[in-house]
Amino acid sequence: MSSKRHSILPPVSSSGPKPPVHFSSSITIADSALLTGTHPIAIHSESVVHPRAKLDSLAGRITIGRRCIIHERSTLGAVGTSGKITEAAVTLGDYVTVEVGAAIEAGETVIGEGTVVGVGARVGAGAVVGKHCTLTPHSEIAAGEVVPDLTVVYSNGMRRTDKREVAELKNKGIARQIDVLRRMIPSNPAKFA
Amino acid sequence: MAAITPYTYIQCPCSDSSTLGRSSDTNSSRADGADDDDDRTFDPRAPRSNYSLYPLEYLLYCEDCHQIRCPRCVAEEIVTYYCPNCLFEVPSSNLKSEGNRCTRSCFQCPICIGPLAVTSVETKPDPSLLAAPDNTAAPQSGPYALTCSYCNWSSTEVGIKFDKPNGIHAQLSKLRNGGTARLTAKERKERRRDPSYRSSAATEQGDGRSGSDEKLDLETQFANLKSFYQSQLADPNASDGGLAALSDLGFSSPTSLSRIMSIYTGGSLHDKKAKLRVGAIREALEVDEGLQLADLDESAAIAQLHSEGHDGTASTSRLSDQPPNFGEAHLHGRSRFVSELRPIPYLLRTKRSKRCPVCRHIISKPEAKVQTTRFRIRLVAGSYIPSIAIRPLSLSSGSGTSASGSAGIPGALLEPLKPAHYLLTFTNPIFESIKVTLGAPAKTPGRFASKVTVLCPEFEIDANTDVWDEALKDPSGAGELRDRERERERRRHKGEEGGNVSNNNNQLEVGKIWERGRNWVSIVVEVVPAWLRLEHGTEEQRLREDEDLLEIPMFVRVEWEAEAVGDEVGAVVGRDKEAREKRELAYWCVLGLGRIRH
Repeated sequence: MSSKRHSILPPVSSSGPKPPVHFSSSITIADSALLTGTHPIAIHSESVVHPRAKLDSLAGRITIGRRCIIHERSTLGAVGTSGKITEAAVTLGDYVTVEVGAAIEAGETVIGEGTVVGVGARVGAGAVVGKHCTLTPHSEIAAGEVVPDLTVVYSNGMRRTDKREVAELKNKGIARQIDVLRRMIPSNPAKFA
Repeated sequence: MAAITPYTYIQCPCSDSSTLGRSSDTNSSRADGADDDDDRTFDPRAPRSNYSLYPLEYLLYCEDCHQIRCPRCVAEEIVTYYCPNCLFEVPSSNLKSEGNRCTRSCFQCPICIGPLAVTSVETKPDPSLLAAPDNTAAPQSGPYALTCSYCNWSSTEVGIKFDKPNGIHAQLSKLRNGGTARLTAKERKERRRDPSYRSSAATEQGDGRSGSDEKLDLETQFANLKSFYQSQLADPNASDGGLAALSDLGFSSPTSLSRIMSIYTGGSLHDKKAKLRVGAIREALEVDEGLQLADLDESAAIAQLHSEGHDGTASTSRLSDQPPNFGEAHLHGRSRFVSELRPIPYLLRTKRSKRCPVCRHIISKPEAKVQTTRFRIRLVAGSYIPSIAIRPLSLSSGSGTSASGSAGIPGALLEPLKPAHYLLTFTNPIFESIKVTLGAPAKTPGRFASKVTVLCPEFEIDANTDVWDEALKDPSGAGELRDRERERERRRHKGEEGGNVSNNNNQLEVGKIWERGRNWVSIVVEVVPAWLRLEHGTEEQRLREDEDLLEIPMFVRVEWEAEAVGDEVGAVVGRDKEAREKRELAYWCVLGLGRIRH
């Protein structure tokens, strides 16, 4: 079909081995999400994976908690400079939002519950980000760094502590957002099974 | 070292004292004065030059003085004040009463200066929402807070919540950090009068501290002090018999006036008495009188420093961003912590018109309305003086590659001692043909002198006529093709005259124009970059900052004929050619060609 618009992006299907997956029955995963690698990928209940999000389990297991939202073009388990293979490459807690174009490198990287990884942010290999943190757009967490709970990383690495105590509210907001997304994104978990 | 693209900076004649002298004689005839410019070559490296060189786009032009005006020498006037956040135009009368900050609900985050939004603080989270997410969001109600969506700062961190979502500025000015209300002047007065309040306040403090330990905020203390001193001034007169009724008028009362007069006229018993009484003015001794004991106990601040560390303290820039807050606690133990910063109301911005400093004519005036970005008057220099574009010239013929090989690539480093050629394109923006005379020193100033040769220092540029006008004027036909043909013809014609060189054979000839167009002329400048080494001296051998930058000072003199000044349009038509007069404009500019390899 010449009338069809061709994307400049490489075709979705043609990349890497198919990883073993452990999906909860209630997740929403887009047809064009990219799951590659050799280690298992586990996604827990009610999480949403947007189209073209890339989960790469080549360097270890990837675990996504409950009610997480993985946005478009974000990368989980990017093999960083180390290239080491570890037991658990990336572990996301519950209610984690990984926004558009963010990258989380593989290598025992942990993102705590309720944390928002902003647009284009980068989390280095082995970093441990605490609970309810906010990484503002394009902020970077160095490899191996430990970010305490409730930290806001903003404006080129400045840190402050979030004292709003709105974790509950935020979780509710995420629940509502997931509810909308579930209707917007046609889910096709069977494709990856 | 980063390569640079060639640039042209123009020196505004306002700044340099030597050029100030010259600009005065430009008004008189300058035809003979061209020679004595040689010993006053403008040095682009001189420290003063930093402040007088501007790109053409930054400069304005005064039509009445016929002079370039730079941002430094124009006089500015404020047209409007407006809030950059809500674009509300603030009348200048409000400005005097309410200060230079937005008094609507526009606030900046004290942490990251992002805009703050008013959000409701839902004090009671509804558990049913989670179970039934189809429910619409809870109606926005209850206390509101200012929150920053970027760094997640919230005004609840300093204990400030608002009852209403609008009129935040007024609400905030009544609140102190921690949410306690700031006293109004009336309340203060009532409290001072009411002894029961004082006693209750003392018992509230619990530990039985005396009244003088009570914390006063700045405003209350000032009000107390003010009333105390006023009463002190009035007191001596009050006992002065008979005039007690006027005593509370203070300074302006006739009694105080007579007292002051008697001090100076001197001598009598009455004066002595008055003097004694003046000396009897005492300082404040009680809280009611405005006494505030210094709070030297800083253990709380130290403890906070221990727990929060350096990150917990506010930087000086943050503190200076804070608006003055008179309702705040006393200066002792004043907040230096991030946790005590208040939201910043947006500073107002201005639109300014610019005047010529000499003739007071307006040379730039923006539209008064905030939303429009247009200008009513804007006399930019770009539409009066020729623009100079620099392009490295690579000669494509055989010998050319060795001569200016590196100069062919824009931004490449210049090889020392290898001649390089640059094409200067002068574009005429005005509707008269202009005559340009260039003057450049044979060697650039500074320790490392590069040789400069302007191959054609004198030429004429045709007027900036409308492309289509010209095409239609041509009887033989219209269209760009004709135009171009005619252009070529003219060029050939000029070449015969000796004013041009045909660019087909790539030969550089002294005194000839490289290329010419409708309203532009290109000429060639040859430079031989300096060898950046000195023969002797180890200390001196090192390059100073930007000494490898090849900058050529060039004196540009533009001459043209124009309609006489001050004439009405009709008069010019009547007088025809007699009304035309010769104009000239002369200024220094600096051509930055690139860096020399070293």
